[in-house]
Amino acid sequence: MKNGRVKLELPVLADNGNSVSMKVSVESPMTEADHVRAIHLISERNPETRMASFHLGPRAGSAQIASRVRLAGSQRVVALAEMSDGSFWMDSANVVVTLSACMDETG
Amino acid sequence: MGGGFAFGFHLPAVNAQNVAPEINAWVVIRPDDTVIIRYARSEMGQGSMTSAAQLVAEELECDWNKVRVEYADTNAQVRRKRVWGDMAAVGSRTIRQSQDYLRKAGATAREMLIAAAAKEWDVPAAECTASSNVITHGLSSRKTSFGKVAASAAKLEPPKEVTLKDPKEWKIAGKPVKRIEIPDIVTGRIRYGIDAQLPGMVYAAIAQCPVFGGKVKSVDAAKVQGRRGVIKVLPMQDFVAVVADNWWRAKEALKELPIGWDFGGNDSVSSESIMKFLRAGLDDQSDVMVAKRIGELEQGMTGAAKVLEAEYFTPYLAHVTLEPQTCTAVIKDGRVDVWTSTQNAEATHAAAVATAGVPLENVYVHRMQLGGGFGRRAAQDYTRQGVQIAKAMEGTPVKMLWTREEDMQHDNYRPASLVRLKAGLDAAGNPVAWYSRVSAPSIIATLLKLPLKEGIDPQAVASFADQPYSIPNVRIEYAQRNPNVPVGFWRTVGHSQNPFVRECFVDELAHAAGKDPYEYRRGILPASTKESGVLEATAKAAGWGTSVPAGVHRGIAVTEAYGSYAAAVAELSVNDKNAVDIKRLVLGIDSGHVVNPDNVIAQMQGSAVFMLTAMFWGEITIKDGRVEQSNFHDHRMMRLREMPKVEVVLAPSGGFWGGIGEPGQAAIAPAICNALFAATGRRIRSLPLKNHGFDIA
Repeated sequence: MKNGRVKLELPVLADNGNSVSMKVSVESPMTEADHVRAIHLISERNPETRMASFHLGPRAGSAQIASRVRLAGSQRVVALAEMSDGSFWMDSANVVVTLSACMDETG
Repeated sequence: MGGGFAFGFHLPAVNAQNVAPEINAWVVIRPDDTVIIRYARSEMGQGSMTSAAQLVAEELECDWNKVRVEYADTNAQVRRKRVWGDMAAVGSRTIRQSQDYLRKAGATAREMLIAAAAKEWDVPAAECTASSNVITHGLSSRKTSFGKVAASAAKLEPPKEVTLKDPKEWKIAGKPVKRIEIPDIVTGRIRYGIDAQLPGMVYAAIAQCPVFGGKVKSVDAAKVQGRRGVIKVLPMQDFVAVVADNWWRAKEALKELPIGWDFGGNDSVSSESIMKFLRAGLDDQSDVMVAKRIGELEQGMTGAAKVLEAEYFTPYLAHVTLEPQTCTAVIKDGRVDVWTSTQNAEATHAAAVATAGVPLENVYVHRMQLGGGFGRRAAQDYTRQGVQIAKAMEGTPVKMLWTREEDMQHDNYRPASLVRLKAGLDAAGNPVAWYSRVSAPSIIATLLKLPLKEGIDPQAVASFADQPYSIPNVRIEYAQRNPNVPVGFWRTVGHSQNPFVRECFVDELAHAAGKDPYEYRRGILPASTKESGVLEATAKAAGWGTSVPAGVHRGIAVTEAYGSYAAAVAELSVNDKNAVDIKRLVLGIDSGHVVNPDNVIAQMQGSAVFMLTAMFWGEITIKDGRVEQSNFHDHRMMRLREMPKVEVVLAPSGGFWGGIGEPGQAAIAPAICNALFAATGRRIRSLPLKNHGFDIA
């Protein structure tokens, strides 16, 4: 697994973890011979560590996904790209969720 | 007093904070010896702005009269890798969760100032001391001031480790220092969110769907477009805004504006249907979660000499901040400026970034004094609306202000909660088994949308799951029931309602055991608990057990809340018209350390006003999917002449840092209701008291 080719975009700050915009793009010609097979999103703190997997093929044209994710608090999120040659590439981003909760314990 | 309060109409670019020498993120010292202490969280009347500055000043060894407090800027925060940490003023945690780094910031700055002076004199820093803004070299009696060495101190490396004072040595902290912002409040100089005023500003009034969760279906803008002053009608997805040249015109036009709503099928929800839903949660076994289990409940019950059962209910409550929700914003050339009252300026910043769709560095939040917070101004719905409107009016500053009605009917309410209790007593009357089933919404699951650990919302079962009494068999259950009413953090949250349930039921047990409620609690509270200590101190101060005039009765309660321990003794009489005359309310608090005793007393007194209002009259009821209450005529508040005398017992036992903003409320309702039982023989198992025919004398 190597750093690079993948770009994960997440806001540095979010006032609410409920709906955080997220974008992943991977450098790839997206041809039959060389394309992104899948993009996986891994969470450090969510109850489901594997947040999502997007399966792509050459006909996707470009290796880019944009969505909204739910985050259970401040954490590092990792985006993994699985290439057709079997290699894995990654990027990560840190998000601070500014929880404003009158909870007894630290939010 | 010398403390001034720098607040935020000026833009950070011209702010003094970028000019004077910054010793560290928290301490800036001007050449004229003025000490500027930055405050990162919010001031909403809870006094933390002063207390936080006291902690920095204490370690800094500065002259308190030269201290000014300035809000830390959110734009600098995001550019400087969150150097000020958490900015939220919630959960009674401003002091208890900042005290360590605030005191270290003060101590670090002091060491750097001393080091700068020592370097100038070419003497070892260890031979120099600082006190009241003056650095002295003892051997040569040379003196200099903070202001003189600040510029060179700012260039030094901060020491890696500093030693903090024992609170016993405090000179500024621990003392009843006057609140920094009060002079500006009494002279009218302070600016609340509602006071934001900008050149060329226009005004917006908004309407949200009267039924929770509804959406805008249609808007007939033509109906109001010709009205005097009306500039624009903005239909958004879940609200409609009318923008006009003054707020009254915007509000009046909005009233005339035909809006079609899609209620999403929720317009048949009522308080009765919600109660039915909660009641089902008391018996349903399909999704119940166990929050706490000690021993074997069934075994304990079977062996009990006596078993008591009861159901308690606490209603939805609105925050009703005196200042309705408001947000002023302008978006121009990719820059967003927001003026608002917020309990978390950083969350406001993040909400503005997300709503405007601009880079993090392009947003500036100008923090205004809060006209009440109570947990309402933690959620950023109003910031999103204000920025959304400003985006539609790009280039023009817009002040959005909710009406009182909008505010009361579109809150995140304190959850309603229905609790079933069952307790088994042994032959001596002591509890051998305790069962609670809480059927209530989850704030964490629905407002924060966070996953619940083991299906438990800790706030829903607060003060049950962590009850301090020695009972061998306990089971606490939680049935999460989320009716279609948005819920949120209302001052003291779960501890605003569950101690009422628990401590009134403990009173029922004491009565069944034929014991004095205070002695009964003492008998089942381990002596090592903090609850035991504060209960005793409060009972003693209240003269528990001493004689009272005929017709006067006492009630008592104790609980933990927000890291502190609170007890209350109420003394009251009830006349033949059910008018309650509260003669005395004695509130005891053990917060570990006390940073500003005068402020702690004020917080306890304020808690009494807030809780008495809630317990006598507070409730939000639902009909046709809408909130029935709208303004102060049907949502009554405590009046000045009705307010009883509140005596505060400070019982700090040291060694820990507890909260202050919220714990004061926790023990009040049960103490009053237990006194009402003593006076009338009527056991109050639901609030508010008005529904039982009681009023305040």
